[in-house]
Amino acid sequence: MTRESAGPPGALGLPAARLWAAARFPYLASGLFGTQVIEVAGLDGAAIDPRWRLYIDPELAADWTPAELGSQMVHHVCHLLRDHSERAVASDVARADSGQWTRAADAEINDDLIPAGLELPGDPVHPRDFGARPGRLAEDYYALLMGSSQAEGTVRAGQRLDCGSGADGLPREYEAPGGLDPWLADLLLRQVAQDIIEHSKTAGTVPAGLLRWAQEVLSPAVDWRRLLRAELRRAVADVAGAADYSYRRPSRRAAAVSGVVLPALRRPVPELAVVCDTSGSMSDDLLAMALAEVEGLLRALGLARRLRVLACDSAAGAAQRVSSARQVELTGGGGTNMGAGIAAAYALRPRPAVTVVLTDGYTPWPAAEPKGMRVVAGLLGDDARDAPGWARSVRVTRSA
Amino acid sequence: MSESQDGNFAAEALGVAVAARVPVLLWGAPGTGKTSAIRAMAEAMSLPCETVIASIREPSDFAGLPVVTGDSVRFAPPQWARRLAEAGTGVLFLDELSTAPPAVQAALLRVVLERTVGDLTLPPDVAVVAAANPPEQAADGWDLSAPLANRLCHLNWETTPRSISDGLAGGWAAPRVPPLPPGWLATEQLQKAMVAAFLQVRPALAIAPPSNAAEAGRGWPSPRTWEMAARLMTATDAAGASDQARSALVRGAVGDGAGIEFLAWLVEMDLPDPEEVLANPASFRLPERGDRAYAALASITAAVAAEPTPERWTAGWQVLGGCAAQVPDVAATAARVLARCRPDGTALPAEIKLFARVLRDAGLISS
Repeated sequence: MTRESAGPPGALGLPAARLWAAARFPYLASGLFGTQVIEVAGLDGAAIDPRWRLYIDPELAADWTPAELGSQMVHHVCHLLRDHSERAVASDVARADSGQWTRAADAEINDDLIPAGLELPGDPVHPRDFGARPGRLAEDYYALLMGSSQAEGTVRAGQRLDCGSGADGLPREYEAPGGLDPWLADLLLRQVAQDIIEHSKTAGTVPAGLLRWAQEVLSPAVDWRRLLRAELRRAVADVAGAADYSYRRPSRRAAAVSGVVLPALRRPVPELAVVCDTSGSMSDDLLAMALAEVEGLLRALGLARRLRVLACDSAAGAAQRVSSARQVELTGGGGTNMGAGIAAAYALRPRPAVTVVLTDGYTPWPAAEPKGMRVVAGLLGDDARDAPGWARSVRVTRSA
Repeated sequence: MSESQDGNFAAEALGVAVAARVPVLLWGAPGTGKTSAIRAMAEAMSLPCETVIASIREPSDFAGLPVVTGDSVRFAPPQWARRLAEAGTGVLFLDELSTAPPAVQAALLRVVLERTVGDLTLPPDVAVVAAANPPEQAADGWDLSAPLANRLCHLNWETTPRSISDGLAGGWAAPRVPPLPPGWLATEQLQKAMVAAFLQVRPALAIAPPSNAAEAGRGWPSPRTWEMAARLMTATDAAGASDQARSALVRGAVGDGAGIEFLAWLVEMDLPDPEEVLANPASFRLPERGDRAYAALASITAAVAAEPTPERWTAGWQVLGGCAAQVPDVAATAARVLARCRPDGTALPAEIKLFARVLRDAGLISS
């Protein structure tokens, strides 16, 4: 049995609670006021669904102070902001494990917001409950919880591991039809993100986790793997006439239709080279990730055997032709000159049509693109320097 | 969070785009029923449907086969184009668009937008629909070239486990093409004016070619796609389609980034103008949704704070007082902002008492 509590003001102490929350967390006000509150008798707690409806047990809520009810609202709105329902589905959370997922999601929210003034009733979940460092993602906490069996035992009395479908993506029977349309929910989310950025610029402090979230929503980082694949695919495709039609040779179909000029299909197979920066400033794991990505794509394109890898510091070593990028030995060394590496790639016979340069950018570059060879620059690390405009560049970072 | 529902709205959006005869492209994983949905749609409309698989065609199949006759060259249209021209109407379905080589994509440019095949022009009533797999899912895929992407409205075709089980049990539902009343284009000028007003606020979005290869194959803002968006919005209204479908169509035409900004701006347009409200507080109508009410009241208090004359300050309190009974928490949040910008020597308004109780309950003032 559900009842909407838009009715008599003062029911649940809702206005006071929401006012408390909007005063303590002004940058979440749009989200707090955008949430519709529905009473569900016997729910034994609070829960939210992805369509911005908060379900509250009226009997339980009667004992909460406005600050506690307001904190519940903030906590549950944060489940929606951090998209925990979609992330639960993406992490393949089974119904039996949904409690542990919610615990991980709660930990992700609370570690940031309790210091900012959240006053949750009972004994809220915190990452240190299961020996984790704060400031990490729910996925990390979840993996930790699922990996250790003794973590089960540390759930304390007063900790309720159910925040509704907005936290774990599993529909509940008490959820009413309707609610906020997904596209409006999307706009509301962006509004909150904008408020957070605005607040951090003018008025002051926002928890670091929320600020990161807002920046990510408003200017999402493109996955570098996708970018690198697309740039490579394009570079390979643009190489003269690859799998494309040409009138240079008449089509074999032409014999069947006299008087018609038909083009023929031709497909030269491009040669490829990778130049790796092996100077001391490079990080091994990023290089390995980028190399694996290049290799994976070439394998999908059926070009893996055409790949040659060159290690390069101040002067390029001899070109090593390898069958797997993992066989590359990074020789290491001091100063870097990618110009030498590109020149060495250019001198290879047959000449590579596409050269991928993996570097941190602290290097001199040639003044112009080598004639007849495309260069894709993979810039590794968060503080990598820009490549020149003639190279197609992709930033490879650990975070995205 | 919108993905789970997109499937159904993509079908609705597809119907609207076909009704408006805007070229549309469905993106989806192989085997998700794009092809069967489009065929079923054409069948339900009892229109002839010509399926042309772009990836196994040659450029000359779209640009016309060059035939030497005497001392001139004719570009002979292939049979499927002739059949459509003879029927005078129908659906041209271009399948596997993303696996078509660049030269074929180039040849398709005129077919998609101008419906010209060789020396033949297809009748305007022919709808152009295309389907493609994302390049990540087709090993031999090519990214769509930016000019071709700019001529299409891109829709994500996603299936939910629910729609699959429904389809297996009861047959696949054909996307419904809503009938548009005659003269539906009459209101297009209105939508164009909205787009024009938006582009005056955000001129950078008038034309923004994709900056990297990964974005190149999807919709991006240009004068052509903005016009397409205006037409699609007109058709959405004329067909009485849902807001979800409208959102999918606008974002499909001009791309996600520009589309979302435009939609947010449209929602913002519904808010009352704070200056008009301050001039006449009695005219204020409180928006229904809580976050909209908050946005409206916040814009009014911000307008007062920017220029706090005694008259404007008092008018602001009148507006808040009128809302205190309906949304005490929203109005009290705005009241706290207003209280901070009291002009010197202005008497406290009577409305302030209305908020005393809720502020005390929240522990924000001491009793």
